[in-house]
Formats: sequence, C-alpha cells, structure tokens
Amino acid sequence: MKGATFLWLLLLALTALTMQSAALAAAGLSAGMLVMLVLVVTLAKGYIVIDHFMALHQVNGAWRWIVPGWLLLVLGLIGYAFNLNPT
Amino acid sequence: MWFFIFAELLVFGIFFLAYAFARARNVELFNASQLQLDRLSGAINTALLVTSSYFVVRAVERIHHGAARACAYWLAAAMACGGAFLLLKLGELGAKMEADISMSTNTFFMFYIGLGFFHFMHVVLGMVILGAVALKAWRGGYSAAEHTGVETGASYWHMVDLVWIVLFPLIYVLR
Amino acid sequence: MKYQSQAVAKPYFIAAIGLFVGQIVFGLIMGLQYVVGDFLFPAIPFNVARMVHTNLLIVWLLFGFMGAAYYLIPEESERELYSPKLAMLMFWIFLIAGALTILGYLFVPYAKLAEMTGNDLLATMGREFLEQPLPTKVGIVIVALAMLFNLSMTVLRGRKTAINLVMLLGLWGLAIFFLFSFYNPANLVKDKFYWWWVVHLWVEGVWELIMGAMLAFVLIKVTGVDREVIEKWLYVIIAMALITGLIGMGHHYYWIGTPSYWQWWGSVFSALEPIPFFMMTLFAFNMVNRRRREHPNKAAVLWALGTGVMAFLGAGVWGFLHTLAPVNFYTHGSQITAAHGHMAFYGAYVMVVITMISYTMPLMRGRAANSKTAQVVEMWSFWLMTVAMVFITLFLTAAGVLQIWLQRIAAEPMGFMAAQDQVALFYWMREISGLVFFVGLVLYITSFFIKGKEAPAG
Repeated sequence: MKGATFLWLLLLALTALTMQSAALAAAGLSAGMLVMLVLVVTLAKGYIVIDHFMALHQVNGAWRWIVPGWLLLVLGLIGYAFNLNPT
Repeated sequence: MWFFIFAELLVFGIFFLAYAFARARNVELFNASQLQLDRLSGAINTALLVTSSYFVVRAVERIHHGAARACAYWLAAAMACGGAFLLLKLGELGAKMEADISMSTNTFFMFYIGLGFFHFMHVVLGMVILGAVALKAWRGGYSAAEHTGVETGASYWHMVDLVWIVLFPLIYVLR
Repeated sequence: MKYQSQAVAKPYFIAAIGLFVGQIVFGLIMGLQYVVGDFLFPAIPFNVARMVHTNLLIVWLLFGFMGAAYYLIPEESERELYSPKLAMLMFWIFLIAGALTILGYLFVPYAKLAEMTGNDLLATMGREFLEQPLPTKVGIVIVALAMLFNLSMTVLRGRKTAINLVMLLGLWGLAIFFLFSFYNPANLVKDKFYWWWVVHLWVEGVWELIMGAMLAFVLIKVTGVDREVIEKWLYVIIAMALITGLIGMGHHYYWIGTPSYWQWWGSVFSALEPIPFFMMTLFAFNMVNRRRREHPNKAAVLWALGTGVMAFLGAGVWGFLHTLAPVNFYTHGSQITAAHGHMAFYGAYVMVVITMISYTMPLMRGRAANSKTAQVVEMWSFWLMTVAMVFITLFLTAAGVLQIWLQRIAAEPMGFMAAQDQVALFYWMREISGLVFFVGLVLYITSFFIKGKEAPAG
C-alpha cells in the first residue's frame, strides 16, 4: 500500500506541475517545449493510473497494451496537432 | 465491462483528437477562449479524481484481505471525492451559463461544455456503480475469494479518472 | 408450442405477410413512376404510392413485432398469456384501422381525409411517415397500451428472463416515443426535431431492443446454446445500441436549423452505431457455430444468420457511408438515403420478423419444422429476396452517387429533374431487381402451402 500512496502523491505533484506550467513559459520555455512537457507529464500520470491503479501490470498478453496504446496514440496525435501550427 | 471501457475510451479518444485538430485550424480562437476557463478549478478537480482513484485502490486492497467494511468505507470516501468533483464542475458550468456562454458560442466552448458534460455524466454513472458495489460490500456480498464486482467497478472508475487526466491538460492548459 | 395462448401470434403473422405483399406492390408501382412519371396517374399519384409503401411497411412490421411478442413472452415467462381474448380483439381493431387508413389514402384526397378525421382538432398529419389520421394514431396508442398491459401482466406473474425483459422494454419504448407524433409545433425546426424522436428513436433505438430479443430467442431455440451465454451477448448489444443510438440521433440534426454542435455529436456517436450491428453478426454466427444440436428447421437458421449479415451491411455499413457531417453535407436527402433505407429495413427488421415467423409458424401448425421441399422453397425465396435487395441497394447507391455529382458537385450543377433524367438507367435496373424481389416473395408465400414429409412435432 505504501507504493500506492507514493504514486498518489506523485500524481498530485504532477497535477500541480501541469497547473503551473504557465510559470515555466514565463521562465523562457518555448511553446513547443511546453506542449511536449505537459504531454509527457500527462503520459506519466495516465500510465500510473492504467498500470498500477487499473492493475493491468498483472495481465499478460496483448490485452494489457490496449489501454496504454490508446493513451500513447491519443497523446501522440494531440502533440502532432498542436505542432501543426506552432504559436 | 472491459468491452465498455474500451468503447468509452474510443469515444473520448475521438473527441480529444477532434478537439486537437479543430484547434489547429483556429488557434487564436481556442487560445483566447481558453483564457476564460477557471484553471484552478480544473486542477482541484483533477486532484479530487486522482485522490478518489487512490481511495478505490485502497478499497480493492482491503477486500483482497476480506475486510468488507473497510472496503465499503474507502469506496464511500471515493464517492465523496466524486461528489465534490460534481459540485465544483457544476459551479464552473453555472458560471459559464451566467456569462451567457453555451455550446453554440464557438467551437471551443462546444468542446468544453459538451465534453465536460459528457464526462460529468460518466462521473455520475461511476458513482452509481461505486455506490452499488459499496452497498453490496457492506452487506457482506464480497469476500477475499470472490470480489470480481469490486475490481470491475474499480476499473470503470479509474477509466473515468484516466479520461479526465487527459481532458484537463488538453482543454484547460495546452495552448 | 408450449402454451395454447401463443397461437394468437398466428393471425398477426398472416396479416403481416399480407400487408408485406401490399407494400411490395406499391413499391413496384412507385419504382415505375420514377421512370414513367404518369403511370397510373391520376388514380395513384406518386406521393400517395409512397405514403402507402412506407406506411404499410411500418404497420406490417408492427404486426410482426406484436405477433412475435405474443409468441415469445408466454414461452419465456413460462405461463399462458394474461388474456388471449384481449390480444385477438386488438388484432381486429388494428387490422381494420390499418385497412381503413390505407383505403382512405387511396380513395380520398389527402386534404379531404384530414378534414374528415378531425385534423382541425389536433393537427398531426402531413408529416412523412406520420401521415396517419388522428383516429388511427389514437388507435395505435390504444392497441399498443392494451398489448403492453397484456404482456406486462404475463411477465409480472411469470419467469423474468433477459429476453422477455428486453422485449418488453423495447415495446414500452416504442409506445412511449410514438406519443411524440402528437406533438406538432408550428416552428418547422422544432417540428423536425421532435419528429425524429419517433422516427429515429424507433428504428435506431427501441426497435433494436426488440430485434435483439427476437434474435436471441430464436438462437436459443435453434442452437441449444446456454441461455447464460446468449443473455450476456444480448446485454452488451443492447447497451451499445442504446448508447450509440440515443446520441447518434444528432446525425439527423445537420442542416435543419439546429445548433451546429450536433454535427460533432451526431458524427461521432452515429459512427459507432455499426458496432452493435457488427456484434449481432458475430453473435448469430458464433452461436450457430457453437450449436449443441441440429435443429430440423434449417430455414429459420438461415434467416437468423441472414439477419445478422444484412442488418450490419444495410444499417451499419450503408448508414456509416453518409453519417459523417462533412459527407452528409453532399449526400443529404439523396438516393443514398433511399439505398440505406431499403437495405436497413430489409436486413434488420423485415428479416428478423421473417426469422421469427419461420421458426414459429411450423410449431403453431403442429410440427417442429416444415417438410424438406417446403424448406428448400423457403430458402430459395431467402436468396432471391436478399440478392434482389442487394442489387436494389447497389443501383440506388449508384444513382445517388451520380445524382450528387451532377446536382451538387459538378462545375455546372444540374437542376433536380435534369439530374433525375440522367440516372434513369439505374432506376430501370432497380425496378427489375424489385420484380425479382417480388418473385422471391411469391415463392416465400408458396412455401407455406407445400406439403411433404414433415419432421415430427418437438
């Protein structure tokens, strides 16, 4: 259970980071980098929920990869769409 | 149940991508409209859902040890977080309504309100499922040996959380 | 047949088939009017033929559903029907009301009919598919409520299974959504908005429940697969059908004055509507492959499998073709819609009713299955009608594509009638396919009268 508690705190910290990402932009991070950062953070958060909370790490075979695959695909395409027209 | 989870993820996935590509064609409008959102409220809601998911994990862990009452308590705690999420979200949508913003205002708000409401209904459904599971657990319907229902309900709730984890940065933060 | 009262289904099915013949005759008349505009004019103008063709379809399918319900509910509930007399009374009321309505369409000018039947009191007429005069609409409600009372009492006192509950839920939904046909706001956008609550929520909502229940019932009987397995499939299918179908209604709200967000919601959800139909195909084939016995009624099995395939093609694939808003922008209200309508109604609802008739009729006539010869004729009729319908759909699709190109995309777009002239060849071919369909239908009816060595009653 310690593991889950740690992951929970990590998720909260990552949420705060997402929330405050604008501050990083002010610190000179480019818009493209910022998008990348937020997406990677989201990927990490999503993966924690999928693998540990949904307990998919106990599952074997192709089924295990459907949900993470969905996450990677959706976030990847979002990243692509946001870089079509960098602001 | 996993079949439904896949189907739900498919629907949300399509909408997320629709948002991303619709935005690419109209970046200024989306960026300007996004500034009108309450990002703090969105972040608190993320924290609430993440926390509720954590509580559900604890509930599943308890039933593995046959502690049905404790399982029900954790589930009730998760539902309380879900309830807080709903209240906050209602406040957000209410404020938008007062500002005369609706799905027809522009494409951004179509997605913001439409997806928000759609996810809202999933939180409601998730809470109904958790409630049913908690009630059955309380009455001793699950044991250390047989608790598929708890795990299935938990999976659905985590899915609702997962969708919000993507939705929050996408609609509130990314620009 | 396990319970005496199940026999009330028989007159319902006979009436259904009789009206089916009428529907096809008017379909052929109309099909010819597409290319020979003044055929039978002024006795039967095109708009009247169309009204009769579509109304007969709806009415005979309702007869089929009701018959199926009166057969299926007692068997699933394991008790006699609450009141067979009430069921028979409703049959005659419905048949006479239906016949009078059709005669009214044919022999009285529509405006006169409206005046005679009290349309001034509550204006509900004049809308596509809901053309019925007020007394007929009220009659439909009475017949439906009496049936629901009868069936609900039967289920309440008997065994409750997934199949009879889904069937009952579908029939209740059918009755409730029909009430929107009495709501006719003066605002044209609102009128259309709620019009779809009857039309869409019937065919893409509650009728799918009825269809799923009927298919599951026949599959349990002919394959002997465990009820548990079949019920699991049924639950997943109807849940998917309801989720996608309810919000999928948005695909009717493009370009009719409703807010533009419907283009997104309609597109995404209706794009998923093929999933439950695809699952029905998998369901039918899966169950037949896992069958535990060889049922002597091969024809019923063929119809059940055919339903799975044709419903997916007609409703799923042909629906998906033009459901996305950017595509529908061009295809809206063209022959593509007609193509989809024909194959979807045939593949989903006509075939499932025939599946049910094919399985139950021999039982109601005191045998497990018809003779070999009769079944062979029935299977021939299956192939003739189904293949003919595939060709009708393909020709209409071709006509639709050409029509859209000439009328809406070409550099110098043609007027509607000029474009119709250009696609006349496809209309002729469609009419020929229609004749083949009619031959199939005649064979189908013949199969009921063929004797021969029968399988013993089971």
